[in-house]
Amino acid sequence: MAVGNPSKALSPYICSSCSRSLKLRSRKFATAASPDIYDVVCVGGGPAGLSLLTALRSSKATSHLSLALVESQDLDRAQKWHLPPDQYSNRASSLTPSSQSFLSQIGAWSHIDTSRVQPYQHMRVWDGLSSTSRISFDSPAPEPAIAHMTENQNIIRALLARLDSLEPISLLDKTSITDIHLGPPPSSPAPEHASLNLSSYPHVTLSSKHTIAARLLVGADGLNSPVRTFAGIQTRGWDYDRHGVVATLKLSSESSHNPENPRGVTAYQRFLPTGPIALLALPGPYASLVWTTTPTQAARLKSLNIEDFIATVNAAFRLSVVDLDYMFTLSSGQLSELQWRESVSPNTSAEANGDIPAYVTSVQESSIASFPLRLRHASSYTTHRTALIGDAAHTIHPLAGQGLNMGLADSKSLASAVEYAITHGADTGSEMNCLDKYNIDMWMRNNRLLGAVDKLHWLYSVKSGPVVPFRGVGLRAVDALGDLGLKRWFMRQAGGL
Amino acid sequence: MAYASASRRLLNLPPSQRVTFFTSTRGFSVLNRPPPNYEGHVPLNVFERGALAAGSAVMSLLNPRRGDLIAALGETTATPYFIYRLRDAMLCNPTGRRILRDRPRITSKSMSVEKLRALPENTVGQAYMDWLDREGVSPDTRDSVKYIDNEECAYVMQRYRESHDFYHALTGLPVFVEGEVALKAFEFANTLLPMTGLSLFAVTRMKPAERSRFWHTYLPWAIGNGLKSKEVINVYWEEELERDVADLRAELGLERPPDLRDTRKTLREQRKTAKEKSEKMSGLMADSP
Repeated sequence: MAVGNPSKALSPYICSSCSRSLKLRSRKFATAASPDIYDVVCVGGGPAGLSLLTALRSSKATSHLSLALVESQDLDRAQKWHLPPDQYSNRASSLTPSSQSFLSQIGAWSHIDTSRVQPYQHMRVWDGLSSTSRISFDSPAPEPAIAHMTENQNIIRALLARLDSLEPISLLDKTSITDIHLGPPPSSPAPEHASLNLSSYPHVTLSSKHTIAARLLVGADGLNSPVRTFAGIQTRGWDYDRHGVVATLKLSSESSHNPENPRGVTAYQRFLPTGPIALLALPGPYASLVWTTTPTQAARLKSLNIEDFIATVNAAFRLSVVDLDYMFTLSSGQLSELQWRESVSPNTSAEANGDIPAYVTSVQESSIASFPLRLRHASSYTTHRTALIGDAAHTIHPLAGQGLNMGLADSKSLASAVEYAITHGADTGSEMNCLDKYNIDMWMRNNRLLGAVDKLHWLYSVKSGPVVPFRGVGLRAVDALGDLGLKRWFMRQAGGL
Repeated sequence: MAYASASRRLLNLPPSQRVTFFTSTRGFSVLNRPPPNYEGHVPLNVFERGALAAGSAVMSLLNPRRGDLIAALGETTATPYFIYRLRDAMLCNPTGRRILRDRPRITSKSMSVEKLRALPENTVGQAYMDWLDREGVSPDTRDSVKYIDNEECAYVMQRYRESHDFYHALTGLPVFVEGEVALKAFEFANTLLPMTGLSLFAVTRMKPAERSRFWHTYLPWAIGNGLKSKEVINVYWEEELERDVADLRAELGLERPPDLRDTRKTLREQRKTAKEKSEKMSGLMADSP
């Protein structure tokens, strides 16, 4: 239901009699040219945008706000998204406990299809250049899991289902933005029946030729955010010259991440000099692959036949970097190379300890894809009446699996800033009274995380020299000092435990 | 309390993680020597390895003909790092990988004399045969590797040792100390095996003329060629026998050093004629009244 009436949108701030008169006036003077005014217009219906709207709707203080969502994709399809239990989307994320608790707090977690969620209790991370440098994380006793793996589509569907169960918002899907501009300056001298002064309100012109005005415009519209461009916010960062190769894999049945395994489920990550390769458990014998590598190696991986692709993935967790580099020079025959190297130097003990993942046996059809990796950070998340959340505000290297979690944390923080402003009678679009709180809350935190992950990337892309043994000693030291709470501190930083 | 438990954890680490720079040598006492990793393998602990290296180094310097001691020195100093580096150099190269897969051995059986003699002039096989004839040695004079723990690295050492004669043939350097030291210098620059570098101490045993020849001619040749040529360990000699030797040298980026035997022969003749001359002169002087 579109809330097209300014009086309704303004009702929380204006006494009922004024509001009534406003209603009369607007009824009298409303023309086709005057835009619909919303309290919050969110551009982008990804996890960040949807969770923000859900959080606003499900909080008592903000549930009455008029909300609009502009999304270019068909949200109906996202809502009806369904895959059989033996198929998984290749875009999956690891939800940290704090993200999970946020989703339960806004009532979305109960709509998640839990049969497609895989909690994991252990993590094994090691250095590709010195196999003895490894670190293991285990979920501390009161926590049932380090994190939960699930498909992004599952999260989106749950958020949409939760939104559906609440007071409706204006869903403007299959709609793109043609322009964002500020409202017209107030006509002066103000006539007696002047309309609202909307000169500071962002006006969004949609592909349907319709224009909507926003008290607060939220950009959750990704890397090339039009909202960010409108707000004139600079971003800084660089491209990594790396691609992330993703795929949905099936592991052998004696899989160590089998949910029935009493030892629990393990996530694996090996830092190769070209970038980390991670295998994250999905339910059953399935797993999600995220392999960060150079564009040439990524292209090679995608060009291999399935058998050799599987062999290369298995090799990436088992063989030396020298062998792996050689395998990338071949256009086929990786399987025979793997078999030969495994017969010369078997990994039997690592296999038995669960230090390396079980063998990949098959790849889900057409699930192999790749995307370029970047680091971007907006210089600020807010200007007057605009706020950026999620990828529009920051893009992170996937090695710590933090991208989606950071977006959800943004939503949580922005929703609470809006809630605070509403309960204190402040303008939600005002930087000083509302948005600064969000910017202060999240910018530095995200900047630290972006920086830390970036440094890890550079640290582990060093191939030789004194850095290699030092980082090995460092990793082992952190592992050995786990009892002192250092590891728990790292996990708290990464997972918000 | 927490610190105590942390230090206990450090000490409880498996030995393989505690001794990080000697990943190949697990600590053990002589009373419970682990089983061999391959046929003929003799597992040594760090102290035994060190003692054997020092002993064989001293003794082989005193007696350079002791090939067994030089072999022991080569094996005990190849770990850590060096033999792994050489193995990785082979793993990086398609031919090197094929050698590691096939693991060919150079013996008088695989290198049959009849077959080699039948090869045309200027082939690698013929050069090898000529060299064997000239030096009076046979391919079977090589010991088996026994002190290297990693089975694949043991093969790499074996391969280096068996290919050594081909390096002689390729460069034309003879087996006596002067030629051997020049070739070892080349091998050190090319393979980085510490034994080949340590062998250069044999320079101290050379005559002044030989020594100056080494410093001024053969060492510069060895370092220059060893560094700029491709890794000679990656030559599949069994497949190159029929190849033109100059062609192979060009492919490896290797120049032939001045022929040491010829040089020595001419110098010897020069010396002889000079001596004869001076004798004649002194005879003439004596004869004259």
